Amino acid sequence: MAKPKIASDWMAGCAGCHMSLLDIDERILQIAELVDIRATPITDLKEPDESGVDVGILEGGINNTANEEVAHKMRKRCKILVALGDCAVFGGVPAMRNFFKLDEVLKRAYIETESTDEEGKIPDDPELAKMTKVRAVHEVVPVDVFVPGCPPDPDVIFYVLSELAQGRIPELKDEKLHWH
Amino acid sequence: MVTLTIDGRTVEVPEGTTVLRAAEKAGIKIPTLCDHPHLQPFGGCRVCVVEVEGLRTLQPSCTLPVSQNMVVRTNTPKVLAARKFVLTLIFSDRNHFCPYCQVSGGDCELQNTALDMGMTHWDYQPAWKPYPVDASHPNLVIDHNRCILCRRCVRACGELVGNYTLGIEERGANSMLIADTGVPFGESTCISCGTCSQVCPTGAIIDRRSAYQGLEKKTESTRTVCVQCSVGCGVEVLTRDNRMVRILGDWDATVNGGVICKLGRFDPLDDTRERVKTPMVRKDGKLQPASWDEALEVIAKTLKAHQGKGIAALVSPRLPAEAMTAFKSLFKEGLHAEMVTSMNGSGMASRLAAEAGVHENTLDVLHCADCVVTVGLDLYSDHQVLGFFIKRRLNTSTALVVMDSRENRFAEYARIALKPAAGKEAFALQALAAAIREGHNGTSGKFGELASKAGLSEAEIAKVADLIRKSGTTVFVYGEGLDENGAKALLEVVQQAGDNTKLVSAKGAANSLFAGQLGLSNSFNPKGCPTVFVALGDDEPSNALIQQLEGTEFLAVAASHVSRLTAMADVVLPVEMWAEQEGTYINLEGRVQKAHAALRPTEWVRSSTEAIMALGKLLDVPVSTDWQKAFQNHPSPVTLIGEPA
Amino acid sequence: MVAQKITIEPVTRIEGHAKVTIHLDEAGKVRRAYMHVNEFRGFEKFCEGRMVFEMPYITPRICGICPVSHHLAASKAADIVLGCPPPRPASLLRELMHMGQIVQSHGMHFFELAGPDLLLGFDADPAIRNVIGVAQMNTELAVRAVQLRKWGQSIIAILGGKRVHPNFSVPGGVNKALSPAERDEILAGLDESIATIQTGIQIIRDWAEANMEDIRKFAVFPTGYLGLITPENGLELYDGEIRLIGQDGVQLERFSAQHYLDYIAEHVESWSYLKFPYYKKLGWPNGVYRVGPLGRLNIAEKIDTPLANQEFKRFKALNPGKPVENTLYYHYARMIECLFAAERVRFLLDDPDILSTDILNTRKEVKGEGVGVIEAPRGTLLHHYWTDQNGQIKKVNLIVSTGHNNWAMSEAVDQVAKTYITGPVTEGMLNRVEAAIRAYDPCLSCSTHAIGQMPIVLDVVDAEGNVVQTLRRD
Repeated sequence: MAKPKIASDWMAGCAGCHMSLLDIDERILQIAELVDIRATPITDLKEPDESGVDVGILEGGINNTANEEVAHKMRKRCKILVALGDCAVFGGVPAMRNFFKLDEVLKRAYIETESTDEEGKIPDDPELAKMTKVRAVHEVVPVDVFVPGCPPDPDVIFYVLSELAQGRIPELKDEKLHWH
Repeated sequence: MVTLTIDGRTVEVPEGTTVLRAAEKAGIKIPTLCDHPHLQPFGGCRVCVVEVEGLRTLQPSCTLPVSQNMVVRTNTPKVLAARKFVLTLIFSDRNHFCPYCQVSGGDCELQNTALDMGMTHWDYQPAWKPYPVDASHPNLVIDHNRCILCRRCVRACGELVGNYTLGIEERGANSMLIADTGVPFGESTCISCGTCSQVCPTGAIIDRRSAYQGLEKKTESTRTVCVQCSVGCGVEVLTRDNRMVRILGDWDATVNGGVICKLGRFDPLDDTRERVKTPMVRKDGKLQPASWDEALEVIAKTLKAHQGKGIAALVSPRLPAEAMTAFKSLFKEGLHAEMVTSMNGSGMASRLAAEAGVHENTLDVLHCADCVVTVGLDLYSDHQVLGFFIKRRLNTSTALVVMDSRENRFAEYARIALKPAAGKEAFALQALAAAIREGHNGTSGKFGELASKAGLSEAEIAKVADLIRKSGTTVFVYGEGLDENGAKALLEVVQQAGDNTKLVSAKGAANSLFAGQLGLSNSFNPKGCPTVFVALGDDEPSNALIQQLEGTEFLAVAASHVSRLTAMADVVLPVEMWAEQEGTYINLEGRVQKAHAALRPTEWVRSSTEAIMALGKLLDVPVSTDWQKAFQNHPSPVTLIGEPA
Repeated sequence: MVAQKITIEPVTRIEGHAKVTIHLDEAGKVRRAYMHVNEFRGFEKFCEGRMVFEMPYITPRICGICPVSHHLAASKAADIVLGCPPPRPASLLRELMHMGQIVQSHGMHFFELAGPDLLLGFDADPAIRNVIGVAQMNTELAVRAVQLRKWGQSIIAILGGKRVHPNFSVPGGVNKALSPAERDEILAGLDESIATIQTGIQIIRDWAEANMEDIRKFAVFPTGYLGLITPENGLELYDGEIRLIGQDGVQLERFSAQHYLDYIAEHVESWSYLKFPYYKKLGWPNGVYRVGPLGRLNIAEKIDTPLANQEFKRFKALNPGKPVENTLYYHYARMIECLFAAERVRFLLDDPDILSTDILNTRKEVKGEGVGVIEAPRGTLLHHYWTDQNGQIKKVNLIVSTGHNNWAMSEAVDQVAKTYITGPVTEGMLNRVEAAIRAYDPCLSCSTHAIGQMPIVLDVVDAEGNVVQTLRRD
C-alpha cells in the first residue's frame, strides 16, 4: 500500500501551527517514514497533487479571496480536511478585524499610521487579493477534523498525524484538547 | 429527608435541596456556569440541565428542588447534546478569544466546561459584534466581550457584599452588565472589593494586577489570615516564584466566608515600599549595612547602659501574638522599661467592657440582627467586611443606624444617621439609654436634654430608641471613635436594653485585642526616654509618631520596609512582612487564627519574634513567647474561640 | 512574440505569502519583476480598545516563527506606556528568551528553509528540494539541525510554558523566575548547539567558496543599514540605540527608538500590502536601507562574544572598511548571529542576577505613550502604542522587521530575474528568484500577515493584457 499523501497550507494564521508541527522535533523523521509529505509551505511543491492527497491540513482562517481559493482547492483535492489551530477552527485573533469596517482597517494601516508618508494609499493592484470578512475554515468548506489550540501542542499534532497516517480519525479529548 | 435516584445512585438529602446539590453529595459532577456554592441558585445558563423521569423537558438542576423518588439522569445523549448546544450558543453570543485571554488554559470555567464536553469547535460562529471594554476602574477591567450574563458578579455584589453596584440592563440578547445606572465602572458606587472578579467564571472581570501573572495551576496557594484589620478574614494568597500574584477570599473561612475587601485583596499587592534588606547601623552619621550580630550588639549595649534611665518600647499591633508576647516579656518584665506599649489607639473600650462584665459577642450576631447601630466607626473604610455583613441584610428588614461625630460614608446606607457634636457621643448614647428606659416617645424631657447636649434633636433619639425597641435583636458595633465616657455610656445602653442587645467591638488592628490583653494600650509617650525601640513590623509609622521620636538620643527600629522612621534610626533590623510570617492572631471576636507564610523572606530577614529573642539572649533576659499564658492574665471581653492547631 | 508575465505563487520556504510577477518585453527579456505581499490583517486597527497589558499576548499572533519578538517588543512598549521599567533580572530573562528565539529562528531558516537551496542546489528537483530531502541526503546533519532548533525552543518553553506564543513577559517584567535546575537544563544543551552552529558556518563558508560567482552577481546593491547597537558599537539584539549607516559605511544617525518617527517613514506602493520604510532625510527611494543579519553585522564594529567575534572578523574582511552588499551573505551573517546568541545564553546564565526572583516592578505611572524596540531575527521591530490614562489602547503603529527589507527584497527579485532569466524559462531560474527573497528570511505574517502556497503560473498575455496561453509549473 502506498504511503498516505499529506499536504498542508497556511492562510490567515501566523505560521505558529506549522512551527508547532516542526516542534515534534526528531519525530518529524518518523512522520516522513509514515507519510508522503507533498505540497506544504516548507517544501517546494506549490499545490496539492491534482490526483489528490489523503489528508489536507489548513492553518489559519480565511480573510481574502486568495485564501478562499486555497481552501476550495485543498478541499477538492483531499479526502480528509484538517483545520489546524484556533484561526482555522474559529477565526482566531485575526478575526478581531471583523469588529471594524474593512476600509477603516486599511485606512489606518496605509494612510493614517504615523510613520506612513503623505503619499499613503490603499494598495489596489489587481495582483493583490481582495479582503473579505475573516472566517473559520468550516464556514467556507466542510472540515473533517478540528484541532484547536494556539498553537496546538506538538504532541497533539504528532498524535493527529500518526492517527491519520494509519487511517484512523484522531479523537481529541482530555489533555489532547486545549484552546489556548 | 427526601430519597431520590441520580444516575442509578440512591441519595438522601434534606427537603428543599436542589438536584445539583444532591448530585454533588452523591459525588456526581454536573457542569454549571451560573451556579456558585455561595450564591443563591439562578438558573441562567442552562448548562446544568438534566433529564427527570416523568418530566417532558430537560430541567435545570440548580433550581430544581428534589422530590421523593425522583429519578434523575445527568449524562444521557439528550442531556449531552443539549449541554453542547447551550455551550455553542454561549460561545457564539459574544466574542471569546481564548488565544490571548488572561484566564485561558485552566482558569476559565467556560473553557474548561467546553473541553470537558470534548468540544473541538463551535458549530455556530459569532456574529462578531464588538462589545466595549470598560477600563475606567483602578483595579478591575470589565470586558463585555467575554461576559456570559451568568450574573454571578451581580449576585455576589448584592448577596455577599451588599453593595448592589452591578446589575443588568435590558433583556434577552440586549442584556448588558452595568454598574449603577450605566456609568463607567470606575465612576460607580463600587468599593473595589473584587468579589465580582473572584466569582466571574470567564475573563469578563479581571483584575489588572494579576493579569498574565500566572494561571492558578502555575501558582502556589497559602491559606492565611489577612492582617489589615481585626476582622481576621481568611485569605488565600497565590504566589509564584516567591512573589504575590493574587489574593482571594477563602470560601471556607469561618469569619468571612469568602468575601474580602479592597484592603485585603488589592492593597498588599500594591505595596511598593522598599524593603529593609540588611541590618543597618548608623556610622559617621550615615546608616550603613551591618551584620545581625553587630546591629544587635549596638542595641543591647545601649539598652544595658540605659536600663532604668528611660527606655521606651513600642510594638505594632499587626504583629503576631508570639512577637508581642516576646516584646512585652523583654521590655516590661526583663528590662522594666519606663514606657512599654503598642500603637493601638486606646483599646480602652474593650477593657471597660471586660471590667463591667459586659461580654462582647461573636460576629454571628451580625448575620441575624434586626437592627445594627454603629458608633464611632466608619465601616465604609475600616473593617469593611463587617460592613458587608450588615449591608447584605439591609434589603431584608434589618435597619441600620450610624452614629458618628465625624464624616462617615457608611451613613449613606443608614436608615437613621445621627451626627452628634464632636466629643459629645456620650450624651447621645446616654440620651438613647434614657429613651429606651423611658419606653415611649419621650416627653419626660430627660433624654431630650441629653440629646440637645449632643447637638441632636429629641425626635432623632426617639426614633432610634423606637427602632431598637421594635427590633428583635439589636447589635451595637463600636469603634475607636469613642472616648471613655462614650464607651461607658454605650455599655449602659447595652445593659439597659437587655438580652436582645448585642455588642461587637471593632478593636482596630489585626492583633489589637491581644495587645489590649497584654496591657499594651496606653498611649505612647517617649518623653524622658532617650532610648527607644520600635517593633514596627510592616506597619507604616504615623506622622505623629515620627514627630514624637524626632531628637531621640538612640532609636532602634525593627521594620520590614524603609520609612521615614527607619531613616531616623540609629539601628534598623530587617524583619518579615505579614505574608512571610507564621504566628497567631486573635480577631476581634476572640477567634484564634494561625497566619501562615506565603512568601520566603530574603536571607537577611528574620521574624520579629526571632529579632526580639536574639536581643534577649544578648541581654541575658529570659524571653517568653507563650501568648496563651499572657492572655489568661487579664479579664477579657471575649472568650477565645478555637485553639491554635 | 508578445509581452508575457510570469507569476510565481506562492514563494515557498519563506514565512508568509508572497507572489512574484515577472514582466517580460517582446524580446523575452525581463522588464521589471515585482514581489507582491498579498495579505493584510489589520492588527494596527483591531488592537484599538484593548488593554495595553494584553498587547504582549495579542501581537505575538502576528507571527508564529518569531512570536517572542512581538511578545517582548510589546512588553517594552507597555513598560514605557505604564511607567514601570523592569528590574535588571527581568531584562536578563527576557533577553535569554530572545536569544533562544534567535537560535531557533536562525537555525530553522538556515537548515530547513534556505538549506535545501544551499545543500541540494538551486536546480534540484523541487519534489525533494526541502528539509526531508536534506534529511535523506544527510540524516545526521538533519537531526542535529532539529536538535538545535529544539534547544532554542526549549529555552522559550522553560521560561514561557510553551514554545510558540509563550506566556512570560508582562509590563514591568516577567511572570516567572528561572530555577537552578532549569538553568542547568539549558546549559546542558549549549555546547552541542554551538557545535551545530559552527557546522552550519562551515557549510555556508564552503558553499560560498564553491559558488563565488553566484554570490557576486546575485542581487548585490548599495543601501543604508540599520539596527540596534551597543554603546561601543557591538552587535546588539535585545536593547539599545538604533544606528543607521549609509551605503559607504559612515554613520548617518544614532537615535533612541522613542524618536523613530523623526527618522523613519513608510512609503506605500499600490502593488503590495507591505509598506516600504525609508530614511526620511534622504527621502524615498534614496533613503532605503537594509536590516536583519547582514544589516546588523554591517553596522557593528565588533561582537562581544569570542567565537562569534572571530567569525565576524572574517566576515568584515569580505569587504574591508565597507558594508557587505551581497544578498547571499545574509546566510553567513545569520549563522554568525546564531553563534553570538548561543554564546550570549552562556553569558546570561552566568550572571548572578539570572536566578533572582526580583522580576517584576509593580510601580506604575501611566505615561500613555511608548515605543518598544527589539532586534527580531529578521530585523528591527518597533511597536508604538498610545493609550488613555486607564491603559486602554487608542492607537497602534507597528514597523515590522521584514518591512524594512521590503525595498531590498523587491530590488533583489528584480535584479535576480534580470540576471538569471535569459532564454527559455526553467524552474531553476524561478527558484533563484525565490531564493533572492528567501535570503532575507522574510516573515510576511509579521509585516502584514500572509500565507503561501500555489502553483507558479506562467501567463502569456498579449499587448492588451489578455491571457493567450498559460503554462503551469508543478
